[in-house]
Amino acid sequence: MNSRALTVLALRATAVGYVVCLILLPLVVLGHQAFLNGVGQFLDDITLPQAWSALVLTIEMALIATALNAVFGTLSAIVLVRYQFPGKWFLNSLVDLPFAIPTLVAGLMIAAIYGPTSFVGAWVERSAITILYEQPGIAFAMAFVTMPFTIRALQPVLMELEPEQEEAAYTLGAGPWTTFWKVTVPSVLPGLLTGVFLAFVRALGEFGSIVIVAGNIPMKTQVASVYVYGEIESYNPRGATSVSIAVLIVSFLALLLLERMTRPPGERFFITAARAESRTP
Amino acid sequence: MSTEAGAARRGLSMLLLVLLCMAAASRPGEAAEPRELILAIYSVPKEAYERSIIPSFQRYWRQRTGQEVRIRASYGASGAQARAIIGGFEADVAALSVEGDVEQIVKAAAISHDWRQTPHNGMVAASVVALGVRKGNPKGIKTWEDLARPGIQVLYPNPKTSGGAMWDIIAIYGAGLKQAERNASGKKVDQTAAAETAAGLLKRIQRNVKVMDKSGRESVTTFERGVGDVIVTYENELLPRIKSGRPYDIIVPAETVWIENPAAVIDRNADRHKVRDVAEAFVAFLHDKEAQTAFLNAGFRPIDQSQMTNARDRPAQLFTIHDLGGWDLVSAKLFGPKGLWTTAVEELARGK
Repeated sequence: MNSRALTVLALRATAVGYVVCLILLPLVVLGHQAFLNGVGQFLDDITLPQAWSALVLTIEMALIATALNAVFGTLSAIVLVRYQFPGKWFLNSLVDLPFAIPTLVAGLMIAAIYGPTSFVGAWVERSAITILYEQPGIAFAMAFVTMPFTIRALQPVLMELEPEQEEAAYTLGAGPWTTFWKVTVPSVLPGLLTGVFLAFVRALGEFGSIVIVAGNIPMKTQVASVYVYGEIESYNPRGATSVSIAVLIVSFLALLLLERMTRPPGERFFITAARAESRTP
Repeated sequence: MSTEAGAARRGLSMLLLVLLCMAAASRPGEAAEPRELILAIYSVPKEAYERSIIPSFQRYWRQRTGQEVRIRASYGASGAQARAIIGGFEADVAALSVEGDVEQIVKAAAISHDWRQTPHNGMVAASVVALGVRKGNPKGIKTWEDLARPGIQVLYPNPKTSGGAMWDIIAIYGAGLKQAERNASGKKVDQTAAAETAAGLLKRIQRNVKVMDKSGRESVTTFERGVGDVIVTYENELLPRIKSGRPYDIIVPAETVWIENPAAVIDRNADRHKVRDVAEAFVAFLHDKEAQTAFLNAGFRPIDQSQMTNARDRPAQLFTIHDLGGWDLVSAKLFGPKGLWTTAVEELARGK
């Protein structure tokens, strides 16, 4: 074997070993623990009223947060790429902040803004919308911590998108709205999907900010991660593991779906199907 | 030790302390040096230990034996300390908030002696569940029933993560039983009917709960942030903060539960570190007048009420966990999968 082949082998072994040690092994152990007492026990654990409603609430809130980020993230990305305005560099660097600050601190920030003693909080309370300690607070916290995903995934694809394509659409008589939906969105779809799915998956597991921002009342404002924490604290590691695995399964399914949807054009299963459908009038 | 450091700094220093302890414990060949004792203490009585109990024990040990004893204490949530010890944290003595956590360490065989064989059944400090209200008590809260009034916002932490919250809910449950007794006005009370009354009170109060934090301390922080009309927590959590000028009042309801906090030598570690004599002396020291006075000053009640002349008044209808049937029974009855609290939460969610 020549040295080049050896290098390739070593590199490959390192990459595989890294992923296996860091991700696969802990996953296997967790999965093993969850199913130690059989699938029936696992199902019993996750269908306990409090566990189930925590899981459902988490998925609902993550979907809302993801939708918020899909819409406003796309708009922000377009603005940040297409338009020049004073202070743009500053805005651009602010975007990454949610990744940089501890989520616990993010929670404190949100609580400080919307708390009853703050100006904004008092105003919001008067207008009879409650954000803090209620479900909107959870979605808000999730949207905050996952904000960079959509924007950062979209920016490079938007930059690569040649303006000629859109100009051609205009020349052919399409309005700005049609151009946006028929030209811009399809071209940046893989980037958008990646951002959206990563944001969704990340939101599912959020703990630090939610535990401060939500009321954490079981079956009302308690998300899965907070439920898991409670089960660990009350000496019920099995219940905690089962619900964690349930969240993991949802995440994994979402990521598999993303992988399917963003394959290169030839293999792009869902999208080609969806496009074929939309083309038939 | 700084007195009023920010919560974050306190957390960081706690972590550092734990790391220090672990690092110190894993270094071999130090037995001949000045004696060293590692303590795992729950977070609430930190001030009492740091400011007076630990220094005075060191003085006491020097006078008795001529030896210097270095004490490294880590502070954290009671359950987390218990789990850390079970997982290998090298503490020689644990002072925790509930006996259940000590029992978990016993189950893991790190404690092998009968830790209740002390003057007060292994307990070193006491408190009661009390109510904190805004300054001047604008909502006129006096009894547990007031907490169930529509529009009153109540705070207590989650009993799954906070031993304090378990006590809070036990206090409400016990008060409900007393209520049933009172309603019967002297006649014999039917057990199931009394339990129903108590469950009703618990459910009506739970309906008014606005936020359930992870710990009692966090719950107080939320209250100080301006959320809620009343907070249910340990009396010893409220007293020092009121003393330091926080704008709220304390109300001790007539019916409330007597809380006792245990301390025990961790045999596995004390023997391995050859400090059993120091560890046992420390636990014994906690029962003595000096430590008891320190607890009293920190807002606790002395474990032996009769010993103290300056102790606070006893609530009129004080009950203990044993009056309600003991810790195991009560925690299953309230917090088990079909427990009263669990059911109340589930029924409230379904809008019943």
